[in-house]
Amino acid sequence: MTQFIFLIIKAAIIFFFCVGLAAMLIWGERKFAGWMQSRVGPNYAGPAGVLQTFGDLAKLIRKEDVIPDTVDRLVFRMAPYILWVPAAVTMALIPFGPMDARIFSWSTDLVVARFDAGIVLFLAMGSLAVYGIVFAGWSSNSKWSLMGALRSGAQMISYELSMGLSLVGVMILAGSMNFVTIVDYQAGAFWHWNFIPQIVGFMIFFIASIAELNRTPFDLPEAEQELVAGFMTEYTGMRWGIFMFSEYVNMIVMSAIMATLFFGGWQAPFESWNVVPGFVWLIIKMMFFIFMYMWIRWTVPRYRYNQLMDIGWKVMFPLALANLAITALIVTVK
Amino acid sequence: MGLKDAIKKATFFEILQGMSVTGKYAASKKVTIEYPKEKSIPFPRFRGSQALITNPETGELNCDACHLCETICPSQCITIESSEAADGTKSLDEFTIDMSRCIFCGFCEEVCPRAAIVMTANYELCTYDKRDFILTKEWLIANQVHAHKELKAR
Repeated sequence: MTQFIFLIIKAAIIFFFCVGLAAMLIWGERKFAGWMQSRVGPNYAGPAGVLQTFGDLAKLIRKEDVIPDTVDRLVFRMAPYILWVPAAVTMALIPFGPMDARIFSWSTDLVVARFDAGIVLFLAMGSLAVYGIVFAGWSSNSKWSLMGALRSGAQMISYELSMGLSLVGVMILAGSMNFVTIVDYQAGAFWHWNFIPQIVGFMIFFIASIAELNRTPFDLPEAEQELVAGFMTEYTGMRWGIFMFSEYVNMIVMSAIMATLFFGGWQAPFESWNVVPGFVWLIIKMMFFIFMYMWIRWTVPRYRYNQLMDIGWKVMFPLALANLAITALIVTVK
Repeated sequence: MGLKDAIKKATFFEILQGMSVTGKYAASKKVTIEYPKEKSIPFPRFRGSQALITNPETGELNCDACHLCETICPSQCITIESSEAADGTKSLDEFTIDMSRCIFCGFCEEVCPRAAIVMTANYELCTYDKRDFILTKEWLIANQVHAHKELKAR
């Protein structure tokens, strides 16, 4: 019974952590984008503008929710939530600290779901998130939205395969698909972490994850200059806000996955540094990746459509296969 | 694609180069002027709204009511009403500028033989009421606080 109560508490904490962090990230990204363009960024709402997102939220909720006549109403309303749910589900898999951690007199695992096929669930959820975009684009009944959705679908086909293959190397090394086991396998100092033997896998995963997040340089589904706002064109008010929010929640999840699979999860870089609680290390690592995503977004221009296909099929896919073969060979020979 | 290109692409050389540029800008000084809080200083020859200059010692207008500015004004936004005294000296009764028609060409300043009308650094001319665009003699005299330093010293 206590475990069940703990489960609810943990799930609630993780959910609100994601939402709160996403709100901060929207402000952070705007601020950072401003700095890179020699501007100051939002700085009116609250100290240094930290309350900017909440101001935007109030504005978006008050706005009229326009649903065009010709849309497929049910699917149109459903789409933002379909994009949102997979991200939240994946977050349940991330271990935030050691198993059987003691909190006062109780002990609990610092993970919501100790799921044995974690990586498979993560990949499945990542594929499901594309449905949100495709539904939004299809139901909007607008040419821009449809083009965005089609691009999203085609883009997914070209990166998903190499993304999955790049994770197989980690699976082989740890001998498990469970995130908890993978983190335990990386115990010790930072030279035990997976990114050293799996550097190729990590780079492929990182690039594919940018495509999965629909961020520049792979933001083809919402390419502003070509498609207005892509699949979000017909959305207004808070429905559009949910799309925006889920993009940042997805970013948090992706960076958490990368930190867990390749950078030791909640483990400290040196064993003596483990006095600092595990979730602090995890959050530091996540922040680093989120920062990299932002930096890349405001530096690299958008790739053309065929270039993304080229990178996906001609570079990333063969590299991921080669990485998998070499990893399997080395593990077998050992 | 040669070996050099392949190495460049594998090490993300050009992307890292670009990221170093954006990183440098992120750390550098910001160029934003937060307008209502801080104001930009116009260049010395900036042409803002006009002002009528008074003599700092006597407090009298430099203007002789010669109507040259009214004549040269290409958009005909200056209207002058003057009267002539018995001894032949002219004096200015009304001097209005229609700011909604002024094109800020500066001809009035150029043509004035007494440097009585000048263009100032005042660029905050927005108003909620169209009638406020008709600038009166009193407004123009008060506006000389915004005149460029170089012109004030004359």
